[in-house]
Amino acid sequence: MVLFALPLGQPLVASGLGALSLAIDRVEHPAFAVRDLKIQFPPGGSASVGMGRLRIGEHQWRNLQLVCARGSLDAAVLRCEQGRLRVAGAASPLRIDFRLDLSDRSGELTVLARDGARVQVRLLPNGAVEADVRRFDLATLKTWLPALEAWSVLGRFDGKLSWQPERSVTLSGRLDGAGFGSSDGLRAAEQLVVDVGVEALWRAGGWDWSASSMWREGAAYLHPFYIEAGPQLVARGRLQGNGLDIVEASIRLEGVEQLAASATVDTANGLVERAAVALAGADLAVVGPRWLSPVLAPAATERLQFAGHVSGALEFAQGRLLALDAVFDQAGFSLRGADGGTGVAFGPLSGHVPWRESGATRAELSVGGGRWQKLALGAFEFAADIEGERVQAERIRIPLLDGAVVVDGLVLNRGEGGWRGSASLVIEPLSMRLLTDAVGLPSMSGVLSASMPGVRVSPGEVALDGALVISVFDGYLQATGLRLQEPFGVASHLVADIEARHIDLAQLTDTFSFGNISGFVDADVRGLELARWRPERFDARVVSSAGRYPRRISQRAVQNISALGGPGAVAAIQRSLLGFFDTFGYREIGFGCALRSGVCVMSGIDDGTTEGGFVIVRGGGIPALDVIGYNRRVDWRELIERLQRVIAGNVAPEVR
Amino acid sequence: MKFISFIGAFLLALSLSASAQGNLEIDSPAIGALQRSMQQRHTQLAPLYTSGAVGLAADGTVALRDASLVPLPQRGPVAALIAAENADRGALYREIARANGHPEWEADVRKTFAQRWADRAQAGWWVQKDGSWVKK
Repeated sequence: MVLFALPLGQPLVASGLGALSLAIDRVEHPAFAVRDLKIQFPPGGSASVGMGRLRIGEHQWRNLQLVCARGSLDAAVLRCEQGRLRVAGAASPLRIDFRLDLSDRSGELTVLARDGARVQVRLLPNGAVEADVRRFDLATLKTWLPALEAWSVLGRFDGKLSWQPERSVTLSGRLDGAGFGSSDGLRAAEQLVVDVGVEALWRAGGWDWSASSMWREGAAYLHPFYIEAGPQLVARGRLQGNGLDIVEASIRLEGVEQLAASATVDTANGLVERAAVALAGADLAVVGPRWLSPVLAPAATERLQFAGHVSGALEFAQGRLLALDAVFDQAGFSLRGADGGTGVAFGPLSGHVPWRESGATRAELSVGGGRWQKLALGAFEFAADIEGERVQAERIRIPLLDGAVVVDGLVLNRGEGGWRGSASLVIEPLSMRLLTDAVGLPSMSGVLSASMPGVRVSPGEVALDGALVISVFDGYLQATGLRLQEPFGVASHLVADIEARHIDLAQLTDTFSFGNISGFVDADVRGLELARWRPERFDARVVSSAGRYPRRISQRAVQNISALGGPGAVAAIQRSLLGFFDTFGYREIGFGCALRSGVCVMSGIDDGTTEGGFVIVRGGGIPALDVIGYNRRVDWRELIERLQRVIAGNVAPEVR
Repeated sequence: MKFISFIGAFLLALSLSASAQGNLEIDSPAIGALQRSMQQRHTQLAPLYTSGAVGLAADGTVALRDASLVPLPQRGPVAALIAAENADRGALYREIARANGHPEWEADVRKTFAQRWADRAQAGWWVQKDGSWVKK
């Protein structure tokens, strides 16, 4: 602690018997002031200095008592050697030595604390103060700045201070082993090593200052951001009363070409009244995971990836975001599926997204393409009107294969729990051949299209009311009641009801190399749940379509159906005929599968048992044969594996 | 063993909670996926419950109660862990309501679960009651 006193224009009053005693009402110096100064020189060469009140700058201490082992007043030079001073907030007394020349107000002062901290002060005749600080404990700052009390500040400071009261201040030095922490731990730093430099000039009742700092070691957590050493700061501004103006701050941050900020801070309460940040050329691959993921998708930081560049500006007032502008340059975003799937990606995209707290803005993005699962999306334009937490887009047309996904009248509102909104969606006809090739299914002809006038978005669900229709195998397949549930989580799944009518079995069996069956079937799949495109649950029923048409089934198809159920699961009645004919007539085909917990519970044409089995194919004509299932509970995964082997043609059919 | 006891508590929570409002025991592939995801994450969350860094909030979520109990470099990952857990919890409540055929029951399911998480919290864990944190 700095302590010195120079009487100005006040008479020294000597009194006492054998001991010299001085009492001074008031001492004024540009850097400090003392009230009720009492200096006593008892016999024996010691001295004691008492101060009723000491003020340095804005700070005051009361009732200070300094006891000097040796003290003297020789001519105009006041000395204190091996002095001890107790100050509130310091664990042990401070050791103080000083020499003050009262005639020209010059002198030296050394303050030593028990922890090794040392402050050497030189007072120059012109009123300037120079201090050399070593191992200064930052924790003692809280006695100077009570606002720091809640921040558990620690560390030490080494550096130099030069102070010309009401003219200039220069501070340079290093914070070492420094840190702070709010009581909830949401804002904290540890093991900081920071070089700092501040210069300030007194002008018109305030300080014009400039500062620089270089953060060399340590890390900070400013919820939700974790920041490591590296950033460098150069700033200038003005401090007047409690108002701190940061006119311009330039920050060097990894991954950002230019970052500048300005702010107005009320130092009395630490409140940022206004702040603006501008950045140019930020590399999204670097700044995305550090600065965007924790805010935009804290639950999916590991799955979110960024590329390209962004520039932009942010404006805050009283802690609220007032305005945001983001300009993307060849940016890319991808979100891997929580289920391990490939997820969704967009990019490269370029354009401008503005947002204002009050007032409407229009965002325009040019998207070079994208990917959804295995499907590549074409280039498209995205334009949306943004107002507060509402986003509205007239039409977004995303090319997909030889068709397109068109979203009309999209309205999204962000509220408690997430986004809600509505739209209508049309899938312009896509060739099934391209679609099946793209997703790795056997090539099918036909066309997929969809008309979903009622798309509703709510937290955890996208409901698509309308129908998705695939014309395929001479008939059609229609999906209704489509629901994409928990689209971004581990439980992501698709729910739908499927209705298929008049599916040509000849084309179907040919496509999947399943032998040959002529005829048509209708199918209903109720409550289909797909997770990662694999069925988890459904109630399916397949029956021969009504009407007159040729109904034949090839020997190989019979063998394949038999092979699906595993040995003994299916039997072809009149199997002795199998070897003699290539095809057989049938009257009807019918079976059902209720999938629950990985098990398909099978049923036949009617649920009446035939010798404990159920009829899947009922024969008719000449030659005819029945196919009967005996195993009602089939492991779904095994069934699919067998089907794949049958399609691959490398299964040895087992027929009893 | 905490992990095992958690599974026990969780299954118990599911099995005992068939109420007049609906069946919280109800199973679906999505609910199963969420349970597995939450059970896996629990090994990371359990020490945070014990230390008091993370508490069970009154709205059926988990909350970063005192980040200062977490080493500085881990605070970001812990915040992400909490966000992921809460995403799963939100999905679980919605899925249970959906599986009951009443998506609008989500708030009730959430409330019931919040109470059950609190009831089944281990001694020493922090639970939010009437807006303030209480050590159980």
